[in-house]
Amino acid sequence: MTYRTASIIAYIAFFAVVLALPLVLNSFWTNRVAIYLVYSICAIGISMSWGYAGILSLGQGLFFGMGAYMLAMSLTLAVPENNPVPQLMLLNMEPNAVRDLCCVTTGSFLWIPFRSIAVGMIAGIVVPCILAAGIGYVMFKRRTTGVYVSIITLAFALIGQLLIINNQPLTGGFNGLADLALLEIGGFEFDPYGPSAYYAVALTLIAVILLARYMLTGRIGQVLKAIREDEARARYLGYDVENFKVFIFCVSAGVAGLAGMLFTITSEFATPSLMATSLSISMVIWAATGGRASLLGACVGALIVNFVGSLASESATFQPVWPIILGLLFVFVVLFMPNGIAGIFKAFIERSGRTERLGEARPSGKTERADKSERVQTELTAREA
Amino acid sequence: METFVIGLSIASILFMVALGLAIIYGTMNVINLAHGEMVMIGAYTTVLATKHLGFNIYLCLPLAFLVTATFGLIIERTVVRRLYGRLLDTLLATWGIALILQQLIRIHFGLGLFGIEIDGLGSDLQNVPVPAELQQAIQLFGANIPVYRAFVFVTALALGAITWLVMYRTRFGSQLRAVSVARNTAAACGINDKRVNMLAFAYGSGLAGIAGVLVSGFKTVSPDMGTPYVVDAFLVVVAGGVGHLLGTLASAGILGEVQSFVATWANDVYGRTVLFAVVIFILLFKPQGLFVTKSR
Repeated sequence: MTYRTASIIAYIAFFAVVLALPLVLNSFWTNRVAIYLVYSICAIGISMSWGYAGILSLGQGLFFGMGAYMLAMSLTLAVPENNPVPQLMLLNMEPNAVRDLCCVTTGSFLWIPFRSIAVGMIAGIVVPCILAAGIGYVMFKRRTTGVYVSIITLAFALIGQLLIINNQPLTGGFNGLADLALLEIGGFEFDPYGPSAYYAVALTLIAVILLARYMLTGRIGQVLKAIREDEARARYLGYDVENFKVFIFCVSAGVAGLAGMLFTITSEFATPSLMATSLSISMVIWAATGGRASLLGACVGALIVNFVGSLASESATFQPVWPIILGLLFVFVVLFMPNGIAGIFKAFIERSGRTERLGEARPSGKTERADKSERVQTELTAREA
Repeated sequence: METFVIGLSIASILFMVALGLAIIYGTMNVINLAHGEMVMIGAYTTVLATKHLGFNIYLCLPLAFLVTATFGLIIERTVVRRLYGRLLDTLLATWGIALILQQLIRIHFGLGLFGIEIDGLGSDLQNVPVPAELQQAIQLFGANIPVYRAFVFVTALALGAITWLVMYRTRFGSQLRAVSVARNTAAACGINDKRVNMLAFAYGSGLAGIAGVLVSGFKTVSPDMGTPYVVDAFLVVVAGGVGHLLGTLASAGILGEVQSFVATWANDVYGRTVLFAVVIFILLFKPQGLFVTKSR
């Protein structure tokens, strides 16, 4: 079995499992797993920018949070009591302010477009994209690279979180937006505890994986990998490195925004904690655990870390120890599994494929080069046969 | 004037945390996100030493230095040592270490699982008694200056001076600078670069520990208190120019004052927002930092 077939089988198996899960889960777990799948989408966003293009953004939570807030604003206005003006603004308005969305609190007119759910849903992807394009454009045109990108994105996320917390009359402040309406499209309601919301998340996840894979196995992916390996060389080869980087940064922000919207649907709130540094770094860790350069790996990494985490927090003995295990996991993954679960999978498939073809265990003591030429030979003979 | 003094004390703390980070990042190219936890451990050392050993805050300074330096040494030996040359990986691994250290404090180093609880640890907030002579205020140029803030400032300056002496007037310092400029050449000249790394990491962590003692005097102590410090301090280091002591001092001063003045003029949140914005601008338009170390 080659690595290619094996990975196709892995993708299909993963999709099948994801689609079949609601059949065996109760409503609580359907909701939990739906949220983990949302995190998986985040991890895919990280994998696209970090794994493929080498841009480590520590501000992915900013885009995630923005997506969540955009939809949450629409869903807040969809609640009958929040018309014409949301409760949170009534609580914070000046005593003699006009009770209209245009001017009840400073900046409340920003909410007006969000009376339409469709605007909220589109803004949830477009606004993070535009912001990322702006940040990315300035950053990459100035040829900011490596750790400075991480720090700048981190600082942006911190600013976003502070601004949201500080503008209580506009954003709900520290408590964020809660008591949201259920998302309803064309008379169809997405119940966060039922299969409807789950499938919305699962199908989005599958679509994101397939589209990302389509995009990244093609020319764009190759150029991005070239940029990751050696930016200067890619530039000398005539590629417009900056534009490629802005593009992938923007796409990855859009994916994070999409994930944020799905988070609002499945968990029915949006708070500033979605933009916290710890969540942004956690996303990176999920992707690293699963394998940063593998979309499916990043996805599975997010699922496993979160699933084990919630199992641990169920039990009274493990709950206090879990963060320690998680910390040890980070250290272990970074030290010993730089390519994550996907890397182990790949090594395993390649090794077993080789031994199968040779009909015996891999001879030890050979040099790497001899090993490689042997592999090429067996591949050639296999192709001839 | 009072705003200026508050700014100075913010800057002093930033400087002490950033100084350690600058040494670690500047010489070893390691992003130590567990550095904030060193501040936290320094603060908890103070809590425990004042509660159980009857130490006062002055005695805690050297004690916290030793304790956190030991922690730093252990971290360097076990994890960071294997990650030299993998900058972003050091960031991830040390974040993991930070999580572990925070949780160890929350669960009383694991003893909490067996029902043993140490007074002063756990997830609760802790306070440290400040000696009476530090609680007063002095009048200077018509402004009320709390003695504690002056004490923080003086300690920071003293640490800066000691670090300068260590870096530029000792054998270890010249080895450290040699390693940071050209590791392989330095090693070829007979400098034990691994030992230099180890000691530099321990020294940097120790400085953060001292900052922790001083922080514990005016802020409540909690297991997750360190995270904001590491982010701010890292911003100070990159904004000031990596591997440049004066740059770190200057940028800590500027950023501390900016935060303090904007905070007084608007509010605390805007203070921090402007701080981050300033750093973003510095990084975008002067990526080497305000002060550039000349490299040949």
